[in-house]
Amino acid sequence: MSLRVAIDIGGTFTDLIAFDESSQEILQAKSLTTPSDPVDGLIDCIHKARLEPAAISSLIHGSTIAINTLIERRGANVGLIVTRGTRDAYTIGRGNRPEAYNIFFHRPRPLVPRHRTIEVQERMLASGEVREPLCVNSVRAACEVLAKEGVDAVAVCFLHSYANPEHERLAGEIIREALPDCYVSLSHEILREYREYERISTSAVNSYIGPRVAGYVRNLQTRLDGLKFAGDLAIMQSNGGVMTPAAAFRRPVMMMESGPVGGIIAAAQVGMALGFRDVVSFDMGGTTAKASLVREGEAAMAEGYYVGGAASGHPVMVSVVDVVEVGAGGGSIAWIDDVGALKVGPRSAGADPGPIAYRRGGQEPTITDANVILGRIGASDFLGGEMHLNRDGAIAGMLDRVGKALDMDAATAARSVVQIAIAKMALAVREVSVERGYDPRDFAMVASGGAGPLHAVAIARELFIPTVVIPRFPSHFSALGMLMADERHDFVRTFYCELPEADFAKLLATYEDMVAESNRMLTPGIAAAYQAFLDLRYIGQEFTLPVPVTPEQLAAGDRSAVRKAFDALHEHRFAHHAEDEPVEIINIRLVATGRRPKLALRSPATGGAATPKEIRQVYFDDGGPAVDCPVYRRDDLPGGTELPGPALISEYGSTTVLFPGDRLTVAATGELLISVGRA
Amino acid sequence: MAQKPDPVTLEVVRNALPAIANEMAADLHRTSYNMMIYEVRDFCTALIAPDGALISQNVGGVSHFVADLGVIIEDGMKRYGRDGFQPGDVIITNHQAVAGQHLNNVVIYTPYFFEGELLMFSIVRAHWIDIGGVSTGFGGGPSVRDAWMEGLQLDQLKIHEAGKVNEVLLKVIRDNIRFPDASLGDMRSQIAACRLAFRRLDELFQKFGRGTMLSAITQIFDETEARCRKVVSAIPDGVYEAESFLDNDGILQGDRVRIHAKVTVDGGKMIIDLSGCSGERKAAINSRTFAGARVAYKALTAPLDPVNEGAFRAAEVIIPEGNIMMARFPAPMASWSTVIPTVVDTILTALAPAMKDGIPAAHHGLLGGAVVFFGVNPKTRKRFVVQSLEGGGWGGRPYEDGESGSVSICQGDVRNGSIESIELRSPVLVEERSLRRDSGGAGRFRGGLGIDIRVRNFVEGRWNLHRPSRIDCPPWGVWNGRPGGTADYLLRVPGEKEFRSMNASQYPVPADSEVIVRTGGGGGWGDPLERDPERVREDVTEEMVSAEKALNDYAVVLDGDRVDEAATRQLRKSRGNAGAVKAGAVKK
Repeated sequence: MSLRVAIDIGGTFTDLIAFDESSQEILQAKSLTTPSDPVDGLIDCIHKARLEPAAISSLIHGSTIAINTLIERRGANVGLIVTRGTRDAYTIGRGNRPEAYNIFFHRPRPLVPRHRTIEVQERMLASGEVREPLCVNSVRAACEVLAKEGVDAVAVCFLHSYANPEHERLAGEIIREALPDCYVSLSHEILREYREYERISTSAVNSYIGPRVAGYVRNLQTRLDGLKFAGDLAIMQSNGGVMTPAAAFRRPVMMMESGPVGGIIAAAQVGMALGFRDVVSFDMGGTTAKASLVREGEAAMAEGYYVGGAASGHPVMVSVVDVVEVGAGGGSIAWIDDVGALKVGPRSAGADPGPIAYRRGGQEPTITDANVILGRIGASDFLGGEMHLNRDGAIAGMLDRVGKALDMDAATAARSVVQIAIAKMALAVREVSVERGYDPRDFAMVASGGAGPLHAVAIARELFIPTVVIPRFPSHFSALGMLMADERHDFVRTFYCELPEADFAKLLATYEDMVAESNRMLTPGIAAAYQAFLDLRYIGQEFTLPVPVTPEQLAAGDRSAVRKAFDALHEHRFAHHAEDEPVEIINIRLVATGRRPKLALRSPATGGAATPKEIRQVYFDDGGPAVDCPVYRRDDLPGGTELPGPALISEYGSTTVLFPGDRLTVAATGELLISVGRA
Repeated sequence: MAQKPDPVTLEVVRNALPAIANEMAADLHRTSYNMMIYEVRDFCTALIAPDGALISQNVGGVSHFVADLGVIIEDGMKRYGRDGFQPGDVIITNHQAVAGQHLNNVVIYTPYFFEGELLMFSIVRAHWIDIGGVSTGFGGGPSVRDAWMEGLQLDQLKIHEAGKVNEVLLKVIRDNIRFPDASLGDMRSQIAACRLAFRRLDELFQKFGRGTMLSAITQIFDETEARCRKVVSAIPDGVYEAESFLDNDGILQGDRVRIHAKVTVDGGKMIIDLSGCSGERKAAINSRTFAGARVAYKALTAPLDPVNEGAFRAAEVIIPEGNIMMARFPAPMASWSTVIPTVVDTILTALAPAMKDGIPAAHHGLLGGAVVFFGVNPKTRKRFVVQSLEGGGWGGRPYEDGESGSVSICQGDVRNGSIESIELRSPVLVEERSLRRDSGGAGRFRGGLGIDIRVRNFVEGRWNLHRPSRIDCPPWGVWNGRPGGTADYLLRVPGEKEFRSMNASQYPVPADSEVIVRTGGGGGWGDPLERDPERVREDVTEEMVSAEKALNDYAVVLDGDRVDEAATRQLRKSRGNAGAVKAGAVKK
């Protein structure tokens, strides 16, 4: 028996999904997360699923430990060592106030206080030339101060170390010798890109979470070894790939946003398998909805983000799957504001007290309650009937908090709440597609999360997306995606020069150096692929676009092909370009991918006719009364089934809504393909 | 008439309109060619009705752009008439008789038609890197005597007419500005952003129809206004006044520029009367702007909400013609926004007695410490300009200390140049960028700290070193808080030992000179003797406050790294009460 297992530790639940390669069966388990010792929860989940650890060939692990350590401010005592004159670069940051009119704004609070930030004597120039050699004694003196301060981690960030990391390397050796028990991050090892504040912040975050995350991974490895686990342990990263435990020790900052990415990887692969190369992934859970874009089977990436929000958050400039999130989930609360307008979210009833219908003390109507009122969620078949929902309570709450103020009956109020949520989520999907220059009409939407299939078709209609795909296991999609992820490492080097003058031999050498660096991080022997990009811009611009290049183009010095590709990309993204404007190179990037085996899920049965399990009264969006709507069990729909809307497809953890005019086809591989009708 | 929109339509439109303005801004921001747009975010994007009403505007960027767009459309309507616009028109304007700002702020706008009817305009105002005239950069500074010295004046001209480019006008512009590639690149970005709005508007109007859309917009204005009235009605009715000043207008030394705010709260209505401010000046610090009043009002009412016409309908702003902020053409306006941060602080301070828990002490009050150095790169033989805006300290607040090193109330998401980016682009070295110990005004809640940035130029060139105009009237404290440290520009040329304070435009210096751009701190909130001694000790450990200041300003006695509590109690008692508690602390 050979098992591939993914375990995703979230705030509330630890999710396990296992794929048995011999039987092609999927197995799922859930247990409560134990915040005090998440490793316990993880082992517990393996036991609960009755898996034999020795039979597990690979275990992929996604954890919120990195992000929680930062958000809860439970990280290390960090000391920061910087170039003379830049002690306050971290505190001053960029000096901006994104909330322009807020006189009570907060700048990001540094993770390292000023008295543990120490300048040393050294100075590099932008060219990489040494202006002032590193004074070794000043580093030793800094270590003495930090030792007295009792730091357990150190971050080093020198100016222009992206161009020449020699001083950081040397300082690193001295620090490791002087403070042997400290976790050390050297900025160039995390990020070889210019802009010191962002690099300092990223390195400080890495050191801040480093000791705890490294300890966790080490503990996990030891415990698994004790259970005779002999497979590969892999850690999920924000960039949609996995990494080895050794890589996770060095760059724990890469784990920060690993939570939502599993679903996006899965959406990409499910889409590809069905012939949709361009996909919008839409994932709606209890508190938020997340949208992201997949092009040519690859998730769209961002080169950094702000942990804790753009206004006061910590910049972390590492590759991360580009996700737009809105505060609209099943638990989002509908309310009337102080001038009588109907609002939905961003406050959420969460899991506790939860929607009114859950009977756990929730008093405020939520999006879930609205769906229960409309009949789209069945009161008696929720979670396979494990939990009987209180529809009357939901109706009373909706009338009390929304209907009365707006002079609406419960169904109209519920419909309004859902429509407002749809409009909000459509803006998020628009942000990742239209606003990035892509036309959603060319995309399919893959919807997941407990609440995704409920709303996907309506959102797709709003944005003229012609096809919606409801994958199998939509409410466990993120863990499933982890099983599908490849190993991946992202690298960047600032390489600043005008394109016509660029030394392509040096670019090729840099490329090869990055490939060598990636090979040190990839699992030995794995089938690797490399893709390089040049970050280009017109001279005078600030923002760059990544243009894919091949080593052959670099070797040939093919500037004009690079130039043409950039003009085309600029035209596509921003609807204008300038062939006569000079172009400059800012960075070279490398994405190294180690191919892991793909999943081959067993297809469900085909043939036979589908019969509804019940006919339910359901309200749709026409403003009319409830209509008779057939409700099917998903397990009862064989491959090849075709059905017209209106219809509901119910399964454990989720319900898919088809409106009048929509058409469903069940793929041979079990996905629901919905052709979205025009309004 | 159209029917009243249902709550869903209303909410969808309410979210969609700011999203359009934000999308225009994102587009411009990412494709512009000059740092004033992509770093300083010195631009705004908006949708304006033909009557000048603000339908929506982008969030973030430069705050003082929150006013003064409607007048441009009103003026355009007057010139061309409703029938004088056609699809495909693009209008360019920066003329000060109406636009009222420095000429670098070039406005591009385009008429939006739905089913043949002119319904609104999409508009982008953005700071071009150069507009001709005596100097590149910030409109040549306060010594520019008139608009003709300042640069090219464009008065409501159609640069595209029905989709056809006016090549003559384009050539006139290209030949009369210094960095035509960058500026015309920015113009392309501005036009693209305006057109982007049309696609989004088409979708909305097609979906909801003309009547519903227009009545939804009306209702959104009403609701926004009601929200603001509600906040204001919580402030006790009354007439509140405060006064401050700028040291001079940049030319006439010793002749202070009076700033005075009289704020009347009457139920939900607020009247902000700035008639007491200085009259228009010969120096170029004039403008035609409601920005000071509007920024203050916005900060008080709904700082995080998107802006529309309703956000200001319950605020009456009085600025008579001939006032420094309602100057008559051709009063020079090159440094038009100089007074605004001080105006905002003065309005806020006026209200301090009415809202003790809602008003911070004054912030550094200047548009940042401007790092501006012109030179020629010997390697490339190309001209270059180093530019960065450095933030200063903000005032202490009723519950916490002020923020350090942050851009002024007139700048939002404006970023300083990163040291590495500055050095990659230009032959200069940033020797240090650090917080100034003791520059935060003492108070129960301390003012934030200002900054020193020290820059060495590797090649000869010219520095802008305009003496800050808020030295005699430093960032004030409230409720007996002390003022923050003041700003300065300092220079040391090779061979000199000491830095000296400077006041000069485009001052030529040899290679290896060093300049310190110094920004002010924020004022303190409340009596420093009431500050928790433990917080004072932390400030000393963090080197934000010196031990001397801890003793002199806060009467905290330190014994090594501990507070000597008995001695501190004793000393504080002997210092006693500093006198009557005043809300504002502005001297005449």
